[in-house]
Amino acid sequence: MLASIIASGLAIGAVYALIGITYNTMYSCSRVMSFTAGALGMLGGVFGSLFMVRMGIHPVLALVLMLACCALIGVVTEFVAVRPVLKSLDQHLYVLTTLALALLMQQFTAIEWSTEPQAFPKLFGIGSGIWDEKFWVPVLACAATIAGLEYLYRRTLVGRAFVAVAEDNFAARALGLPERNLRIASYALAGMIGGLAGFAGGQLLLAFVANGPLLNFYGFVPVALGGMGNNRGAVIGGIGLGLFQQTANFLVGGIFSSVAVFALFIIVLLAAPQGLFGAPAARRV
Amino acid sequence: MDISRRNVLLGGAGAVGASALGLPRPALAASGPIKVGWLAALTGPSSAPAIGFNRGVVFAAEAINAAGGVKGRKIEVITRDTQGDPTKAVNATQEMISQLKVDAVWGPTNSGESLAVTPIMARAKMPNIHPCVIDSLIDPKKFPNAFRLSPANFQWDDAVRHYCLKVLKVKKVAVIGDTTGYGVAAANASTAALKKDGADVVYHANIDATQTDMTPDMLRAKNAGAEAIVCWSTSTGMDARLFNTRATMGWDVPFVGHPSMSSGEIGSLVEKPANWDKVYAVGYRSCSYDSAGKLPAHSQELVDKLKGKVDLKDTLLWWVAGGVDAINLIAKAVEVTGSTESKAIIGYWNTLTKYPGYFGTYTFSPEQHNGYPTDEVVMSAASSAKDGTFALAPGYS
Repeated sequence: MLASIIASGLAIGAVYALIGITYNTMYSCSRVMSFTAGALGMLGGVFGSLFMVRMGIHPVLALVLMLACCALIGVVTEFVAVRPVLKSLDQHLYVLTTLALALLMQQFTAIEWSTEPQAFPKLFGIGSGIWDEKFWVPVLACAATIAGLEYLYRRTLVGRAFVAVAEDNFAARALGLPERNLRIASYALAGMIGGLAGFAGGQLLLAFVANGPLLNFYGFVPVALGGMGNNRGAVIGGIGLGLFQQTANFLVGGIFSSVAVFALFIIVLLAAPQGLFGAPAARRV
Repeated sequence: MDISRRNVLLGGAGAVGASALGLPRPALAASGPIKVGWLAALTGPSSAPAIGFNRGVVFAAEAINAAGGVKGRKIEVITRDTQGDPTKAVNATQEMISQLKVDAVWGPTNSGESLAVTPIMARAKMPNIHPCVIDSLIDPKKFPNAFRLSPANFQWDDAVRHYCLKVLKVKKVAVIGDTTGYGVAAANASTAALKKDGADVVYHANIDATQTDMTPDMLRAKNAGAEAIVCWSTSTGMDARLFNTRATMGWDVPFVGHPSMSSGEIGSLVEKPANWDKVYAVGYRSCSYDSAGKLPAHSQELVDKLKGKVDLKDTLLWWVAGGVDAINLIAKAVEVTGSTESKAIIGYWNTLTKYPGYFGTYTFSPEQHNGYPTDEVVMSAASSAKDGTFALAPGYS
């Protein structure tokens, strides 16, 4: 039982963590909490199944195509749902625009794809039992994403420019950084990370339109737990959430596990409103 | 007689007086087509049943019209695509009642829409026949105009319980539903009825259909000593995960329950085809083949008629047969009573005893509008689909 909790807890936790990183990537460059993150995760699984199962495309090419499609959707998100409301961030209109866009994606997928879950194929055909690839592929994808982002942010000029915009976009613009283009690139990157979450977790979650709201919800928890914009916090929060949820599934059953998860979530936020790994918001006066 | 102003005025006054007194008007409508409103969720989520029903509707209407119609009157099917949306179903119903002035309505095809439109049709006394399973949709006192063509959910439950207790002869049963309103209600009703019939419900749970791992619930059911699992969910993803988990656990407990367990999509969701064995879903005797691969004679007659005209490969025979029966029931009512009046059609349906439809043998009365006989609800081997029909589950003759 313990092995099963750890295997599936880590796997689903890694998917939540990747969705958390998707939220953070969009948030850090625009200060917008875009609720399209879950829809991107859902589309990662749907595109994967579409390319591999329905069109018979090789998994590697399918992955590349899926990343391209999700990046494009990320860019569309920036143009349609984020840019028009950037001037009035304090009114939080982005909640409406991004939720509306997510709903649009959801409905379109339901009509054009299916309302029933569709099969997602095995990618490698390696492992069985608790070592089945459906458990370790999401963890591998999460680790690769963290390593990739660390490299991008610390070792490349573009990555440093991302960090500069995230730190202070006015100062970054004053220094001549193309803030708008960097924001578009950031949304494309977020699209790819969200898509990867759904693709890597496809064997667990299946290619299912209902995964959108689920991932939106559970992917937001690690962001809140780990602190807004804090990727390390999101990873720890996501993995912790997955393990706790799976333990609750075993100990108290499906319906009550959701109650347990959100009870803990509320308790943590009451104790540390800025998240476990976030710094308290300070305003220079 | 001279045509004088006085005569014209007298004649006009007489006509007005006669109409005011309720004397019969010339029966202009009686020679026109029989208008059947067809509320069908042909696109959008959950459109598969309506697409199947529609094939039967079109086939039956064309067959009747090709044979000269009903006493010379053609059947005119007026279809409105409700897209599975109760609001659209309400609008279409109101249009059918007040503008199109249809003679009877067939549909809607899902319970959500039906819950919304049934009271509207009742107020308009519109003869309505539908295939939706929610028990509360049929109430001859509240909705004397509404008739059910398919079994109600309690009849599915009766068949499942009968199969567990009398055919599989198990005593310890686990009942699992999903967390939707339907899943919770169906699982609760099933547990209560099983207990009433002396079964030991050793485990009862509602599972979120998006839950990725079914091991916890399956382990609990196994540890409780379940000899059969009764499953009430419309989610094929949840069904497939349950079957895959059963295989991983090396447990050969049978699953008995909702028709969604026989959905073709499950074939692509189970990790191995064998994971779908020992799964018995609600089916119908008229649409089930026996161990020799033969359908009942009456059903075979329909399949032969449909050959080359209606594709059965991507749908279910009971949907097509239900569509045929619905149109035939409306046509028969007009043929026997010679009228398209609401009272006449409803009155005729209320007298039906063992009407031999293709999908079922219907019996209605003023007190009972659930017309489908429970003994024609059977269990099918879930993985045995063949041209929209299924093999009878083991234990049936």
